[in-house]
Amino acid sequence: MRRAPSWPRHAIMLVVSFLMLVPFYWVVKTSLTGENIYAYPPHIVPVDPHLFHYVDVWYLIPFPRYLLNSVIVTAMAICGNLLFNTAAGYALTKQFPGRRWVVLLFLSCMLIPFQATIIPAYLITSWLGVLNSYLGTALPLLSTIICIFIFKASFEAVPRSLIDAARVDGLSEWRIIVRIMLPLSKSAIATNVILTFIWSWNAFLWPLIVIRTSEMQTLPLGLARFLSVMEDTTGALFAFVVMVLVPGLTIFLMAQKEFIRGLTTGATKG
Amino acid sequence: MNWRRFLMHRFFVVPAAVAVLVAGWNIYIAFNDGGIIEGEVRDRAGAPVPGATVIFFERNFVYYQEKQRTVTDAHGAYRFDGMQVHVGQLEARTADGRQSERRQLRLWFRAQNAEVTPLIVDARRG
Repeated sequence: MRRAPSWPRHAIMLVVSFLMLVPFYWVVKTSLTGENIYAYPPHIVPVDPHLFHYVDVWYLIPFPRYLLNSVIVTAMAICGNLLFNTAAGYALTKQFPGRRWVVLLFLSCMLIPFQATIIPAYLITSWLGVLNSYLGTALPLLSTIICIFIFKASFEAVPRSLIDAARVDGLSEWRIIVRIMLPLSKSAIATNVILTFIWSWNAFLWPLIVIRTSEMQTLPLGLARFLSVMEDTTGALFAFVVMVLVPGLTIFLMAQKEFIRGLTTGATKG
Repeated sequence: MNWRRFLMHRFFVVPAAVAVLVAGWNIYIAFNDGGIIEGEVRDRAGAPVPGATVIFFERNFVYYQEKQRTVTDAHGAYRFDGMQVHVGQLEARTADGRQSERRQLRLWFRAQNAEVTPLIVDARRG
């Protein structure tokens, strides 16, 4: 049988990639030139590019502080996610009374948007006394249902005989998770890390509500503040956007193989 | 553990490269952050202009405002010390009313030592 030529597929992918990458290119180009985005005719190639807008961002606002806050909150969210989602995902692979109801409850919770539960979430955070703190900012992302299901799917792909053998050897449940399950679920871990990183790094609404002082603000809040205090922001604003984007992009590019594998592992299972 | 494999892994190489770059950049800054801005004032013919006043304008959020001024020596040279800025403008004025164009100064980090190309004082303005 004759194989169909691959060039049409590649041509389509090239066009789609071009369309998706043009906005990124435009952001980077504007950050290097400061060219007004409404300038006509627009310059496709950067004219007199320089990196001084990045220097401006670093010094005109407390960027290092925002960056540190974002890094701390994101690190806490990732650690919490790995801990709680692993435990929850492993529990859901077990047979226990009401398991189906728990899964249904999780699935139904996914249908409720965060904006609808933000007031109870705020009240709980306030009751815990962690408003305007790193823990309070990271709290809603310490465990996410999608990631629980990613771990569940990954754990279910591990052969049952392997777990039984570990149990016969005397391993406790936690040691089975740490020594057997997690080493065999690297793609699920990578997916968890990337998803949590992106959600936490880009979170705006929740930090806006729980953070009260400028010293605790994260990068997205800093971006909003930057817009409100600066004039003639075009170049510096786009430089800020690039500086916010780069860490997430770097982590995604480093772990994209595991990320895609983690999303597709067990995708056809319940 | 296979250390060679670990050290060559992208999850180690990329953060390590970033850490090395950041450390190198900070070491460079530590040796070049005296805040010294120096240069010369000359006339159109290229002769040094002694006694000219050089003014440094600092950028605030909206406009440039005067931060510091100094006077050129017998060789037309001037020097500012301890300038904790990363962007500003320089202008030279002479006692007889001549002045230079405002020179935009952009630095790679705050208080970077910088040598500015000569400011040229032109004919009397305005």
